[in-house]
Parts: sequence; C-alpha cells; structure tokens
Amino acid sequence: MRMRSSSFVQIACLVLSVAGPFVASSRGAESDEIVPPANGRFADPATQETPDFQRHVVPLMGRVGCNGRSCHGSFQGQSGFRLSLFGYDFGLDHKGLQQRIDSKSPLKSLALLKPSHAVDHEGGQPLPPGTWEHTLFRRWIESGAPPRPAGAAGFLKLEVLPASIRMSREGEQVPLQVIAHWDDGTKEDVTCLSRFQANDPAIAAVSEEGVVMAGDPGDTHVIAFYDNGVAATPVLRPYSDLADDRYPQLVARTRIDELVQDKLRLLGEVPSEVCTDEEFLRRVSLDIAGTLPRPQEVREFVADARPDKRSRKIDELLETPAYAAKWTTFLCDITGNSDAQLNNATAERARASREWYDWIFQRVQANVPYDALMEGVILAVSRQPGETYLDYCERQAAMAGSEPASKYADEPGLTYFWGRGNFQRPEDRAIGFAYTFMGIRLQCAQCHKHPFDEWTQQDFKQFQAFFDRVRFNRLSPVAAAGRGPADVADRREMLAELGLAERLMGNDRRVLADAARDGKLVPASELAVLPPAAANPRRPANRGNPRRPQNRVARLLRDAEPIQLDAFDDPRQPIMDWLRDPETRLFSRAIVNRIWAQYFHRGIVEPTDDLSLANPGSNEPLLDDLARRFIENGYDLKWLHREIAGSDAYQRSWRPNETNRLDDQNFARAVPRRLPAEVLLDAIRTATAGSDERAGLHENLRGRMTTYPGTPQGRQPVAYGLTVFGRSIRSKNCDCDRSPDPSLLQTLYLRNDVDVFAQIDRRDGWLDEVAGTLRPRARQAQAERDRASGPRPQAPPAVRLARLQQALQTARRQGREEQAAQLQQRIRKVREEIANPPPPRPRNADEPFAGAAPRRPDLPPIRIETETARNIIDEAYLRTLGRLPDDEERAAAVEALSGTDGLAGVRDLLWALLNTKEFIVNH
Amino acid sequence: MSMPFRVHGTPRRNILQAGALAISGLSLGNYLRLAAAGEVRPQATARAAIFINLRGGPSHLDTFDPKPDAADVRGEFEAIPTALPGVHFSEHLPKLARCADQFALLRGVTHSLAAHELGTAYVNTGNRPLPSLEFPGYGAVAAKELTAPRDLPPFVAIPNTAQRAGYLGIRYAPLSTTQAPIVGRPFQVRGVSLQEGVAVSDVERRTQLLSKLDRTFQELEGGNSLIDGLDEFSRQALSVITSPRTQRAFDISREPQAFAAPFGKTPFGGSCLLALRLVEAGVPFVTVTHDGWDTHNDNFEALRTRLLPPFDEGLSALLGGLAARGLLETTAVFVTGEFGRTPRINSQRSGRDHFPRCMFMLLAGGGVRPGQVLGESDATASGPLHEGYSPDDVAATFFHLLGIDHRQEYQTNTGRPVMIVRDGEVIRPLLA
Repeated sequence: MRMRSSSFVQIACLVLSVAGPFVASSRGAESDEIVPPANGRFADPATQETPDFQRHVVPLMGRVGCNGRSCHGSFQGQSGFRLSLFGYDFGLDHKGLQQRIDSKSPLKSLALLKPSHAVDHEGGQPLPPGTWEHTLFRRWIESGAPPRPAGAAGFLKLEVLPASIRMSREGEQVPLQVIAHWDDGTKEDVTCLSRFQANDPAIAAVSEEGVVMAGDPGDTHVIAFYDNGVAATPVLRPYSDLADDRYPQLVARTRIDELVQDKLRLLGEVPSEVCTDEEFLRRVSLDIAGTLPRPQEVREFVADARPDKRSRKIDELLETPAYAAKWTTFLCDITGNSDAQLNNATAERARASREWYDWIFQRVQANVPYDALMEGVILAVSRQPGETYLDYCERQAAMAGSEPASKYADEPGLTYFWGRGNFQRPEDRAIGFAYTFMGIRLQCAQCHKHPFDEWTQQDFKQFQAFFDRVRFNRLSPVAAAGRGPADVADRREMLAELGLAERLMGNDRRVLADAARDGKLVPASELAVLPPAAANPRRPANRGNPRRPQNRVARLLRDAEPIQLDAFDDPRQPIMDWLRDPETRLFSRAIVNRIWAQYFHRGIVEPTDDLSLANPGSNEPLLDDLARRFIENGYDLKWLHREIAGSDAYQRSWRPNETNRLDDQNFARAVPRRLPAEVLLDAIRTATAGSDERAGLHENLRGRMTTYPGTPQGRQPVAYGLTVFGRSIRSKNCDCDRSPDPSLLQTLYLRNDVDVFAQIDRRDGWLDEVAGTLRPRARQAQAERDRASGPRPQAPPAVRLARLQQALQTARRQGREEQAAQLQQRIRKVREEIANPPPPRPRNADEPFAGAAPRRPDLPPIRIETETARNIIDEAYLRTLGRLPDDEERAAAVEALSGTDGLAGVRDLLWALLNTKEFIVNH
Repeated sequence: MSMPFRVHGTPRRNILQAGALAISGLSLGNYLRLAAAGEVRPQATARAAIFINLRGGPSHLDTFDPKPDAADVRGEFEAIPTALPGVHFSEHLPKLARCADQFALLRGVTHSLAAHELGTAYVNTGNRPLPSLEFPGYGAVAAKELTAPRDLPPFVAIPNTAQRAGYLGIRYAPLSTTQAPIVGRPFQVRGVSLQEGVAVSDVERRTQLLSKLDRTFQELEGGNSLIDGLDEFSRQALSVITSPRTQRAFDISREPQAFAAPFGKTPFGGSCLLALRLVEAGVPFVTVTHDGWDTHNDNFEALRTRLLPPFDEGLSALLGGLAARGLLETTAVFVTGEFGRTPRINSQRSGRDHFPRCMFMLLAGGGVRPGQVLGESDATASGPLHEGYSPDDVAATFFHLLGIDHRQEYQTNTGRPVMIVRDGEVIRPLLA
C-alpha cells in the first residue's frame, strides 16, 4: 500500500470559488433543452411549481440522508417511520410520508416540522426553513403530496459532465454537472439532487455539491448517484511531468501493452524494465502451472538465445497437466466446489467434489471454449432423454466400484453445481449465478436498491424467476413429467434391495455410502427442470398458494425486454443466450478480468467480483478490448493466457522507478503477491524433493495440492496448511472466499511447523540426497544397520496420516481399489495410534519438547569442502528461488555450511530459503 | 467546527481494502445515543474467555434440564440435587451438581436451525448464518478487539474450532492445536512448540542466516503492505517460538500432578487444562471442542459411558482450577452445543434427534452472576416456558463481559456494514 501525505484537510477548508470555464462551455451547448436545477427553481419561497415525487422529493430525501441506513432507511425504521433504503420503493416511501402529512394544514405536517426542526428531530435539521430544499419539500406537501403517477416517465440514464477530468495541481477544483434523462425525452439538471462519492479521496475528493478537488497524483473515479442512475467520472492527475506529449517514445510490443501505455502516458508514468529471465521463468511457471521451475530448466532457459524463448515457454507450460490442475482449481473456486455444500449430493462422501473437479479438469485440459464449458454448467440436467430414474441410477452406479464403466467427466453437464446447499432457493441462485458468471454482487438488491449499481429489488425478483423451475433432489428423483410414481417406486426398490426404508436415518447413510463405493445400485441425486405448469416455488411464503399464475415473466438484468418463461422448456436457456450475446459483456468481462487478476496482484476491475457501475476498472479500454477479442477468438482460454502472459505488462520487473512507485493499479510494474495456498504447499514440496521426484513435477500430478478437489474438512491433515494459507471456502459467493493476505499463523507454519520439517527431512528428499552424496559409505553403513535393526524411525503419525490419505486419494482416483482398501486399513491403524498415543518416555522439565521429525543423530557430523558447498548452495537457490545467489548471499551461505556439521548447515540453508519472502511471493 | 467542504460516506477505496484492516464505524448520532443508554464500551469484567463447544448437540434433558416427572420424555437417567436448592441435574453430572454455585445456567434457549452446520455457525458467531456472508467467530472478534501479549497467539483452538475469521480476514483466524493434550503427557503444538532436539539457540542461528538472505525486497519496505506484513509477522513469529512463557504455557505436562489430576486423563480434560494455562499466560481467547454429542443412536449409553463423565470431570476441574488460580473472576466461560435433542425418544434406536427449540447454555466467570438458573423450559422440555433466550442474546452478553459492544459495526470485505451481533440484547440478570 502506498503512503500518501493527504492534504485533504487543507483542501476541505478551502472555500469554493468559481466554476471552471470548461464546464461553463459544456453547459452552454445543451442549456436550451435541459430543465434548470431545482436549487434555482425553488430558491424563491414564493414559487408555485409542484415538485415531482420520483424526480425531486425522493432524491432530495436521499441527498439529505433521510433514507440512509442509520436513519429511516433502516429495516426497523426510525421512530416508527421507515423509508426504503437508498430509495426506489415509491409505494412504501409515499405511504410512510403520507401518514406524517396533515392534509388540512400542510405546514403543520410532521413530515415538514421534524426535518426543519420546528419539532424535535433526532436526525438533526436536514431541511432548515428558507432553504430551497425546504421550499421544495413544502411545495410538494402543499400541493397535496402527490405520489408517483401511474404511467410516469421512466428514468433512462444519467449523464455527467465533464466526461473525464484531468487535474494538474493539488487543490484544483472542477464542478460536475449531472443531467437526468427520462424516457419521455425530458432532461433535467439534477446536480443539486444527486449524491456524490469519491472512490479514492486522497486523489480526488468530492463535495456534497459535486465539486471535485484534486489531491495527490494518480487516477480514480468520482461517482454520481441519482434515482436509479450511477455514473462514474474518471479523474486523473499525472505522477510526473512526462505526461502526454512529453512522454518518452516506448515500444508497445502487444495490444495489451499499447492499451496499458495509453493510460500510463496520461499519467506520465514510465513502466519498469522487463524482468530478468530467471524472474520471468519462476513467475510464469507458478502462474500458469503452479510449479517451480526445475534447476536445470533455469540454467537452460537463461542460456537459450532464441528471441522467442519466453513465448515458447508459455506454450510449453500451457500443455502441462499442471496447467489444467491449477486452472481447474481456479474454476472450482468461482463455481463453488465445496464439500460442505455438497453434503449428501452423492451417497458416497466427497464423490461429488471429486467428480466436479474431474469434470472441469477434462475440459480445461482439452481447452474446451469457456462459453461451451460454462454452458455445460448452466444447462446441466441429470437424465438423458427418455431415461427412467432406474436407468439413470444404473448409469451413475457404473461410474463407481472397482472397474467403472464410465466416468462423470464424460457427462455433458456439471449437475452438482445446482446441488449445492447454498444454491437451492431461487434467491440464492440469483445471487450465486450472478457471482459466478457475471462477476457482480446482486445480494444487496435482494433487500434494497443496490447502492452501487442500477439493480433494484424488482430487478432481483424478476431475475430469480429464471431459477424456480430448476430442481435438485438429493438422492431422490425429481418427480415430474408424469413419471413421478414410477420414479418413486424405482427408488423404493433400490433402497429395499439394500435393506433400507424410504426415509433415510442416521446410520442408513453409511450403508448407502458403502454400497455406492462398491458400485452397487443406489438412488442418485437428480437435477431436472420442471415443466411450466408444475412450477411451484418452494418458498415458504408461497405455500398457501401452490399454483402461481402462469405465463410468468422474467427479466434479465440491464435488459428491459421481458421474457415469457413458459415458452422455454428450460428457462435457463434464455440466460445462456443472453450471456453469449456479445452485447451483454458481463460474461466475458467477468472471466477475462478474473484471469487477469491471477497474473497480477489485482484485476483491471478490483474486487474482481464487483463489476458494478460505481466500480469501474482502472483501464476500461483494456478490459473491453481483451473481452471482445476473447469472444472473437472463440472463448479460447489458452489464447487468453498466452495474450496476458506474453505481454510486457505481465513481464515487468517488480522494481519500481520514480514515476511509477506510487501507482499500483495501472500495471506499470509487477507487484509481489503471496502464492496461493495450494501453489505454496506444492512449492515447499517441490523445493525439498529429491532430484527424481523433482524432475517429474510438471508432468506428474500425484499428491499435488492443485488436484485437491473440494474444500478440506477440519480433520483432514492436509486441511491445516490449506486453511492457514487461505484456500477458498467456496461458499459465500465472493472472490474474497480465498485470501491472499499474510498472517502470523502462516509465518509460524513456515518457520516451525511439523509439516515443513517433515518435507525438509523426508526420506529421498533433497537433503537426504545431499547427505547420501556427501558420505556414500556412511549411508551404506546406515542402510545395513537399518536392515539389521529394523526400519528407520517413523515419521510422526500426523505426517504418516497425511501421506496415506494423499495416497488413498490418488489410488481412488486411478481406480486402484485393492490398494485403496489396504491404505484404508493403514489409515485406521494410524488413527488409532493418534487416538491412543504410546506413553512418552520420561523426561525432565527443562528438556525441549517432544519431537516430530526424527533426525539421525547416530551419524557423525561431516565437514563440507568449499567447492562442494558452492555447488550445493547454487542448487538450493535454483530449486527454491529459481536463480543463483549473488556474491553476498553466497558468502553468507558458505559460512553457514562451513561448520563442523556441514549437513546441518545445508538444512539451515534450505529452511532459510523456504522462509525468505522471495520464496513465498510471486514476483 | 463545521467545514464548508463536506464529503459523503466512507471512501469506497477504503471499504474495498477493508478485508484485513476492517474499520468500525458507528455514526456519531448512533454513538451518542448508545452512550446515553450506557451501551458503549461497557467496563470489561472479563479479560479472557474460554468457549467450549459440545459439537453434535447435547441432550438438554439428560444433562442440565431433566424432567423426571414427565414419563414420556424423561429417559433413563435419574435427576440429582445440586448445590442450588431446588435445581436438579442428571445423575451423570455429579461434580458439576456440586459446584452449581460457580456458574449460571440458561434453560429454554431456543432457535430454529436443526442442521449441524447451520446451528454450529449460529452458536459460534451469535448470528444466524447467511448464504452471502461468513460471520467471524467469537474468537476472531476477540482477537481483533482485545490485546494479546506479542509472544502469544491471540486466539487458540483446542484441538480445532468451527469459529473462523469470516469477513474479518484471515489474520484473525485461530491457531488450532489439531490435537488434544492428555494430562500428564508432554504436548506439542504445531508451529509453536520447538521440535525435539531443537534449542532456542538453533532457532536464533537459523533466523540469523535468514535475515542475511532475505534482502531481496528491501527496496519495497515501507511501501508495500504484503512485504511489510510478512516482515511484521516474521518478527512476531520469532517472539512466539522463542518465548519461554509460550513454550511453558502449551506444555501441560509441567502442571503439578495435584492440580492436573482432577481434569482427568481424557482429551477433554487435557483440553480444559491447556485452556486454563493459556489464559493464565495471557491468551485472550481459547476454544475447546468436545465432539460426539450427536446421539441419534444409543443416547443413554453414549452419554453415560463416553460423553458425560469426561465432561463432568473436565468442566468442574476447569471452573475449580480457574477459581483456585484467581482467574475465574476475569475469565468468561461459555459452554454450548448447537441445539438440544428431541424430548421424544426414538424407540428403535434408543436415541434422541436434533431439537433447536429447546437447549441449554452455561456461562461462568468474568462477571457472570453465578449460582442461578435463568429461563425455564416447559413440562416436557419441548420449548421455553416463557419467551426464551436466543443464541444472539447470549452472544451479546458474552461480548459484553469482554467489554466488546456487540452493536459495534464492522465493514465486511465487500463493504457492507454489519453489527457484531445483529439481533441480540444483553441479558442483564446474567451479570453480576
């Protein structure tokens, strides 16, 4: 975060002076058509004008704060009087006011006396008598307090002038003019009725009157709100005097670089150098494949003289299975693959999350276009045409057991997406759907008008209507289309066969789970779309009225065309069509922005799940261009990865220069990011692995955390590391479900956790290998002793449990059932050992704590020759940081290895390198 | 002084960055109103808290709310008298019955979430769970609001907890021991305890090497929140790992036999002893999870043999131990499951099923008035007799003890303003 010496207080104390000439001229151009502002029209208390409820009265209440959250906008109201939060429920608002209006003597109305403070008002005096605000409100009451007339003109859009602002010095002021457009063709200057908000007041503050004041250099937006309109005005002040014409001649190698540079030019900001080959290789390997580069790979890449070696490397990485694993994890995040939400979605525990992962993995690996991939999610149904419930369950059962005949990944649809616990009610689906596919936060509009966007509660209701015919029944059929009784009978028979009753109780689940694992026939969950006539929303509120009126209409967000839902066999089809329509933009923008954010420290729009009008991107032309070309390139995800990773913008050094040091949102330099949980844990494993294992880690996914399918549950050993480093919980429809933040626990983990030491000290790990090369004879002698005296001391039970569970997962995934059964046996034993630990050996009070990773104290310490030490140090650097040490670092490392116990020095060195900031961040 | 240039609202940029740095913002008007009502920053009576979660939902009838005269629901256990005249507990809680004057019992606590996950989230946060927002657990709020010594983690879970940092951000997450200690045996906490054969001098040697090698981002220091955060946590981690006080606190085998024995040689007893030692050392918030209360099958057998004896032993030893060390006065103890269990006994399985309409909660220490029973269930323990308390009310009271105003507002990581407890009222009669 950059430090700013905010001079805001000084700015705030300046008295407003004149309006800038720029605005005056723009005003002149359209003045003949625009109704002048209300503050002028109502300045004269004797005016006879009747204000309009929607256009003037409600916005005025919003502006002076009546319908705010801490006043009458609170859901409990305030002193018995409630207004809709942020407005837009004209019925409710009018009714509330009417009860406080004295029609016989309007001037004695509480609605007027309270805010003008003639009668005590807790909320202060928002409408002092004599002001235009007071006059406006009084005139409305005097005129009989008319409501919004039926058939009144609708709000069309908000226009703000100037369209963008460029400041040149601190304290500079530019007033905004806000013009409302109505669908009857009228326009009105509503500056005095609008609310304003500065997205970064340190750079540009805005007064209640809409005057923007320049602060520090940089760029941000000022937002105007009026009625349902939200309009953002970019404000910019250059960082240096190199802006515009004085900007240095720079090469823009790609389209992305051109668009990034267009923005940097306005800001007078020069990008950092392109990063070194070592930095690039480590960065891009971690970003594309979640893998550290191999030491040999680093040497080769640096030595490679071909000019296109970087794009070759990108292509190479995109073909690895590790790429598919990493980006499947990403797509599992945004689609919400969570074991906690998939309880009982399959009879066998955790099968749903695994199949979900595999379904996506297969498509990412085959590079299925993004729109087609998501269509499989959006339009998923369980049964094939004409299939009975029995057929369907048999097909599902054939996917389990020791020799599966088919696999879920080959199914056309990802049905589990619709089976999540937090995705059942239509309103939850509206929120979750908007989050996943559109990158917007609709939850606000569930209860009130969206404060930062144009969604109203009405929009929300009309959107959720798309989902009420879609049903997911857990371990049961969706009884529809006249098949109901047969389906139910099918299910009953399946359960009877297993000795179970129709209603499943506690222990029955286990019976069912065991049967399912063995590939026996069990009832499967079903996702289906009800035909229009049967639609009967499951909301409790509708229970008394099971048959809702037919021909229901839904409306897509930001799209005024109503859609007759009953005309569609699957009401999700029109949404899919709409998402695919290039005009919609949200579908492509959301994914392009999210993928961009995986390569940088932020999205072009940040947060990446908030593509609202009040939250424009730092470079809209860039996002628009990438999103448009993504569609033109057939939603090709690898194209997008190549495009981003191939740009100089991505390949910048993290070292700032004087012009870009204070800016972290325009991609003029790389900003270090903490590695994501899975990638970090894999990196620890990779960095400590012996050479054989190390060499295969791009290709071999065994045990990789990026293949972990669902959400780790509390008791699983892998859960600890993943949780500590903020793996996504995938349950709250928020990209913040994953955390990139550092924490004390993370540092404790890296410094001192049993997992990390177990990795460093593991058998056949790199340290073990170094030990072996340092004293082949001692190693041999040790091996003989081992043979004579039984196995080496075991790793602690928690570590063994973790390894066994990893192996079990792999075995299951690869269908090796016999091995899986053996592993389960061993897991049970280790669990017992953990539950009933053997009695500890006696110890005295000052002794250090009971150990985790056993070392081999029986081997004598060994000194390492300086030349050997240098080689070991180089190797340690390459395998952790992907580069060679500089002289100072090498000297420090040589010193560490020069003690009597050289091997302990190597261990210290490896530990230290894993604990550098450079290791745990991507840079 | 009024300024001619007023600015609306919380700067959005700040809201968006709030995540870890969430700011709390009562409006001035609200603050003054609450202050007038005596609700702002009540004097804390507790400086630390121990939250004990009985996961699975303990039967209220067979523990603290027996109905010996209700033939249909009474179950197999007898009721025994307690230190409080007229108050009876299950016969399998004899030690807690004897020290009933040390805690306050709430009967007829009621809610409507009958699923484990939802109920657990509810009683661990004080807020009914929402699909779009993860509320922080009590411990995460405490970690944010209370100050902890630098060499101790502010929020420790034994062995783990349902309380997460939620919208407050990962830096308020608990340190989970992942295993429960057993009285008399040495105990290791991952990340905190030193490994066998490792001395503080080894840690210091390694750390010295690290500081020589970790210079790459020097250029960014003071200007990058990630780099600065990592440096700060690095310093704090070193003080945790090398602190004798911290190492001692986690090692329950250092406790004298006479003091430790009453806790019992069970994971729950060991957890209670560790919780006590941690609070004594200065950790502000500790959770203990005691799992296995989901007694759909063989309710009585499970309670009699497996669940109640260690619970009775461990909790009574904890209360007695806290009192003996002079810590009970300043340590709030809160014991709850996610719901009660059905009064009706399912005959085939001899079990009781989920029942959120009626449950018990137990509070002690830290400013709770002990030796009282608040609330009452009806004749068959099927619901509160009168209005009943909600988990939100108990949560508000719990925070009140810690001096945390439950109406304080946080910004969530999506910029939404939310009170710590959205619906609760402090239960005044609970306070001393």
